[in-house]
Amino acid sequence: MKLNNTFKSAGLTGSLALGGILSAVAPAAMADQEYLLTVTRPNQLHVVDMSTNTIARTCDIPGPFGTGSIALSPDNTHAYVLSNGTKDVYGFDIRNCEITFKAEQSSRTEQVITMQSITVSADGTELYTVQNPITKLRDRYEVKQPRLAVFNIADGMNAKAVRTYPVDRRITKIATTAQNEVILGGGDLKAINPRTGEIRMVSKLASWERGPLWLPPDAFAMHSQGEQANEYIMPYSTAKFTDESMDMETAEWWWGMSRVDLATGQAERMEIFPFEFVIFNFITDPRDSNILYGSFNTLSKHDISQKKTLLVHEMEHSYYDLNISGDGKTLYVGGTSSDISVHDSDTLEKIGSIQLTGDMSTSDLRVATIKD
Amino acid sequence: MALSNNNSKRATLGLGAIAVAGLVSTPLLAQDAHQLIRDNCVGCHTESGTTAAPSFSRISEQRKSPEGWLMTINRMTHLRGLELTSEDKRALVKVLADRQGLAPEETEGYRYLLEQNTNIIESGINQGLTETCGRCHSEARFALQRRSEDEWKYLVNFHMGQFPSTEFHSMSRDRPWYQIAFNETAVELGQRFPLHSKEWSNWQAAARNDLMGRWRVTGFVPGKGEFAGWMSAAKTAEGRYDVTLTGRYADGAALAGEGKATLYTGYEWRAGLTIDGVKMRQVMAANEQGTALDGRMFLAAEREIGGDMRAVRDQGKTELVAIQPAYLRAGESTELTLIGQNLAGDIDLGDGVVVEKVLSRNADRITLQARAEGAEGVRMARVGTSKQLSALTVYNTLARVEVLPTDAVTRIGGAGGNMPKVRAAYRAVGYSVGADGKPGTEDDLRLGYMPASWSIKPADEVAAHEKDDRYAGSIDASGIFTPGDAGLNPERKRSANNVGRLKVVASVADGDARVEGEGNMLVSVQDFVRRVLD
Repeated sequence: MKLNNTFKSAGLTGSLALGGILSAVAPAAMADQEYLLTVTRPNQLHVVDMSTNTIARTCDIPGPFGTGSIALSPDNTHAYVLSNGTKDVYGFDIRNCEITFKAEQSSRTEQVITMQSITVSADGTELYTVQNPITKLRDRYEVKQPRLAVFNIADGMNAKAVRTYPVDRRITKIATTAQNEVILGGGDLKAINPRTGEIRMVSKLASWERGPLWLPPDAFAMHSQGEQANEYIMPYSTAKFTDESMDMETAEWWWGMSRVDLATGQAERMEIFPFEFVIFNFITDPRDSNILYGSFNTLSKHDISQKKTLLVHEMEHSYYDLNISGDGKTLYVGGTSSDISVHDSDTLEKIGSIQLTGDMSTSDLRVATIKD
Repeated sequence: MALSNNNSKRATLGLGAIAVAGLVSTPLLAQDAHQLIRDNCVGCHTESGTTAAPSFSRISEQRKSPEGWLMTINRMTHLRGLELTSEDKRALVKVLADRQGLAPEETEGYRYLLEQNTNIIESGINQGLTETCGRCHSEARFALQRRSEDEWKYLVNFHMGQFPSTEFHSMSRDRPWYQIAFNETAVELGQRFPLHSKEWSNWQAAARNDLMGRWRVTGFVPGKGEFAGWMSAAKTAEGRYDVTLTGRYADGAALAGEGKATLYTGYEWRAGLTIDGVKMRQVMAANEQGTALDGRMFLAAEREIGGDMRAVRDQGKTELVAIQPAYLRAGESTELTLIGQNLAGDIDLGDGVVVEKVLSRNADRITLQARAEGAEGVRMARVGTSKQLSALTVYNTLARVEVLPTDAVTRIGGAGGNMPKVRAAYRAVGYSVGADGKPGTEDDLRLGYMPASWSIKPADEVAAHEKDDRYAGSIDASGIFTPGDAGLNPERKRSANNVGRLKVVASVADGDARVEGEGNMLVSVQDFVRRVLD
């Protein structure tokens, strides 16, 4: 009896204790930890804890600064960064700064640069870049067609492209869909199957056929950071003329975008609100796909269902890009200089600042969400 | 305006004429020139053709200015590992500019770039070239080159290799930039600016003038004023001269300097002189006869600060070179200075202009008091048997003032940064209304440079709100604008640096009245690349 009682008692205590442990762990597992990633000069990858807005760790990137373009593995534990003037790719375990991957894309006779274009396959096994190759002859350069290069991430520190497929010129940001197509952000938005090289048109931009009343768009994705809304945005600016005289003075100027849902690979293209000021980067509120935020000299909030600007907040200096917390409540505005400005997404008021060790210049601001 | 003034003051450089003055020089022997290229360039550039008439890949397919060749050789040393003694570098630039240069006509309309007089809005060759090349370069930069079509294509590829972001810039990412540049622009450039031209073959066949001798010079140095003097060129080697310059500024202050000059391509005068302790550079072009040089002299360290310069060879004959000032308000007694050489004989200032009194007179300079009557207009002045007539403009009322440069870019700098400030030097040009009685029309009578008092103001309401006139810089009494310090300014919105948009205002006296003119200035950020030619 005593034993039984003791046993029961111990069992009760044990289960209580276990319950206590469970209750301590479970809420943390549900509140995934978000980290903000960016690169600063001279060449450091910073991992910022978004629960405290402090730098959790800083990883030295080998070589000179690239453009600070970052791609994440699907589980968000690894970040792939362009370095060495965008010629090389380095992979980091962001939990401990270990360098797990390296691809040198250029050789003695071929110069290869990647203009922002870096992404990881849906299953996390392959890394994709768009390479812009130039053959270096003795007394001149020869321009080669750009190509999608496929690397096996498992190849580690001396990875070479295992497959390549020709693609268009002028491709910047790329992203992988759930179907493992790679969205190619160039003059038009296209998608390539990285197993066959087959390319399909996703959204016509440079080749849109909208007649003489619409100015061909200036589409450019230097930063497309849609991980919180699982999307890819190619912003553009255009003008709608009053008549075929194409008078720029009387034209209506518009911001527009092609936005790809990375879960389905489907895109929508639309004018989103009047062009009243310059915006370098857009993101969508993960809670409402009609709400967009933009950054540059201003932080702005827009409702694209009404095609209007809701709020504009003057910034202390220029910020090239921005990102948002998973709950949609907090905006992180960065790039250009050495501080990330933190804002409330309802009011756009500044609520904090994160000082870094160097200038971000053109670097991405990406959010890695690590699930325990 | 600046552009057309710049063009119109140049005499047309004709072709095929026999040199009438100076010695006919012999260029470096062809085999020596080839050997110099062989010794330094064939590590990368392939030689073909015959020993007597070799061709070097890429090199032989281009012609350009001395500065153009200097830039090429600088690039080879900075980016391609070429090691070159300074002696060989000088020799190579000379050989290439002499043998693969530009004919005088081929530089017409674009000499402002060679003269480093770049505060000019270019007129635009055409929209395609402006968008493809002119969005980064001055148009003169490519218009002062001649290449085969293939070579223009290689130049497009060079841009793609050296500056891979070229096709991603605004005004290139919205179009198939590389395909347009390679397949269309390079072809157009090959037709418009071809390797082989009649002008160049004629110029190669023409006899070369030697420029040694004595030259009567006039010019303008910002902060010092107009000057007149004598320059002598003593030949030290083929196309090389020792140069001395003496004279005085309009206020009587003396000027003296010496240095060295090189004559490229038979007419391109490039000199470096130290004048009263300041290093200056001269970029001038000789006329067809080798009797006059026209161009600009500027600070070696600050090429924006300079002024027009002209030199007229002393041929032992009476020549009137300039009148300072070259305008005369009707009914007023005015002191004029006649600059020339061998100034013997009667002074004739044209219809209705009376010499009231000769204040001083010698063989190269006459100061007098003159008074004009009669209608507004240009009078042609003469001394004795001078063939060259000098214009003297009589006017009644100063109708408007033009500020030069009309549009200027200056740059913040200094303050411990790597780049010095880029200043601008201003001058005011007066006009009367001309025959139609209306100012601002084509027939306005250009009177010449006039003394002015200088000020700045914000360009518009936005600039006023940003207090650009307070932060962006200041202008001194001589019309030299100095921009603000580099770096963030916490006093300004978004901690902006001291950039700004300004109007530069010249106020010129006209009797008891004052007439104002305005120029536009952008005070911009530092330009971290310093090019030989922009």
